[in-house]
Amino acid sequence: MSIEKGKISSQQLLFLIAGFVLGSVLLIDFTVGITEQQTWMVILAALAITAPVILSYVVLAKRFAGMNLVQMNDMVYGRFLGKVVSTYYIFFFLMTLSFNIRDVGELYITFLMPDKPFIFLLVVFTAICAYAVTKGIEVLARVSHLFVVTGMFVIISTFILLIDQMDFSNFLPFFELPFIRIFQGIHIVSTIPFGETVAFLMIMGCLNKTEHAVKNTFFGLFIGVVSLLIVAVRNTAVLGRTQTIWTSTSFQTIRLIDIGTVLTRMDFLVGIAQTILIFFKCSLLFYVLVVALSQLFGLKSYLPLVLPLAGIEVIIAATVFQSPVDHAGITQNAGIIYSIPLIFVIPPLSLLIAKIRGLPKSERGKGT
Amino acid sequence: MIFLLLIYAFILIINVPGLIKRKEWRDLTAFSILYVIAFALGLMYVLDIPIPSPMKGLQHLIVDILGIEYPQG
Repeated sequence: MSIEKGKISSQQLLFLIAGFVLGSVLLIDFTVGITEQQTWMVILAALAITAPVILSYVVLAKRFAGMNLVQMNDMVYGRFLGKVVSTYYIFFFLMTLSFNIRDVGELYITFLMPDKPFIFLLVVFTAICAYAVTKGIEVLARVSHLFVVTGMFVIISTFILLIDQMDFSNFLPFFELPFIRIFQGIHIVSTIPFGETVAFLMIMGCLNKTEHAVKNTFFGLFIGVVSLLIVAVRNTAVLGRTQTIWTSTSFQTIRLIDIGTVLTRMDFLVGIAQTILIFFKCSLLFYVLVVALSQLFGLKSYLPLVLPLAGIEVIIAATVFQSPVDHAGITQNAGIIYSIPLIFVIPPLSLLIAKIRGLPKSERGKGT
Repeated sequence: MIFLLLIYAFILIINVPGLIKRKEWRDLTAFSILYVIAFALGLMYVLDIPIPSPMKGLQHLIVDILGIEYPQG
C-alpha cells in the first residue's frame, strides 16, 4: 500500500520536473570551474546521455503505475535485496537534500547575510521545507508553475539586461580542453540535476493518468535545460575566462548589470529567485526522502518522521563539508561517482528484469 | 542548548500524543528512532563534539581505497 494518497496530473508533473531542474541552476558552478567556456556544450551532451535513462524512469513508472520506488524495488528484487537497494536510494536522497540545504546556507553566508549564524539559516530554511512537505505533494504540484515562471522570468530578464556586456568571442576556442575534463563535466551535469530526477520515481506513482507522462516529463526537462543553457551562455559571454575564479559565477555576472546607473545591484533579486527555486527542489527531495523512509518502515503516514528528519538534515548539512571548496572538491569526485549505480544502472536494470519476469502483472496474478 | 531542548520538546509534544492515541506503535517506534538520532546529532553539534561526515567516508572509500578519481587540474 502506498503512503501518499494525493494525486497529481501529468501537466503538474511537467512543472515539477522543470522546477526541480531549475533548482539546480546555482549548482552549474561545480561544472564551470572544470569545463570553462565549453559548459554550454557539456549541458547538451549530458542531456543527450541522460535522456534515455530518464526515459527508462518514466517507462518504469508507467509499468508500475501507482507504485513508488520502494515498492518497485521490493517487487523486482525481492523483499530483502529490494530493501537494500531502497536503503541505498534513501542514503542518496538524504545526502542530496543535505547538499542542497547547505547550498542555500552558503549562498546566504557568502553573498546575502554574511553576519548571520550559518546554523540559523539552515534551521529556518529546513523548517520551511518541512512545513511544505507536511502539506503533501498535491500542494507542491499546484504551486509548481509559479516557481517555474518566477525562475524563468529572472533568468530571461537578467540575460536581456546583460546583452550589451556580452562578448561572444568568449566561447572560443572550441574543443580546447582535455577530454577527461569534458567527460567529468558531462558526468557532473548528467548527475546534477538530470540524474537527480530519479527522485521522481517516488512521485510518478501519484499520477492520476500516465498517458502523457513521457511527453510532459521531457517537456519539463526541456524547460529546465533551456534555463541552464541561458545561464551558462550568459555567464560565459559576460565573464569570459574569469568565470572560473569566482565562487558563484551567476552572482558575479548579475552584479555587472548597470542600466544607466539606475538598474544596478540586482544580485539580491537573483538571491531571492535562487532561494525560491532551491526551496522548491529541497521540498521535493525532502518529500521523496520522508515518503521513501516511511514506505521502507511500512508506516501508515509519513508525517511523524518529517520533523526528526529535518533535525538530522540540518546537522548533516552543517557538518558534511568544511568549506565551499571542500564541498566542490568532494561533489566533483566521490559525490558523483557513488550515485552512478542509482542513476544509470538500477532503474534500467529494474525495467529489464520487470520485462523478463513480466512484472507487475504476474505478481498481481499471484496475489489474486 | 536551551533552543535545542525547546525545539525537541516541541517536536515531541506535537507528534507523540497523537501517535499514542491512535495506537500507531510502529509509527511511534520509527519516530522515536529518528528523534533520538536527531537529538543526539543536535547535542553533539551544540557541544562542539566532532560529527563524522558520511561524504568524507565515501571519499575515502572511493578515492583512497578503490582509487576511482578524476584527475585534478
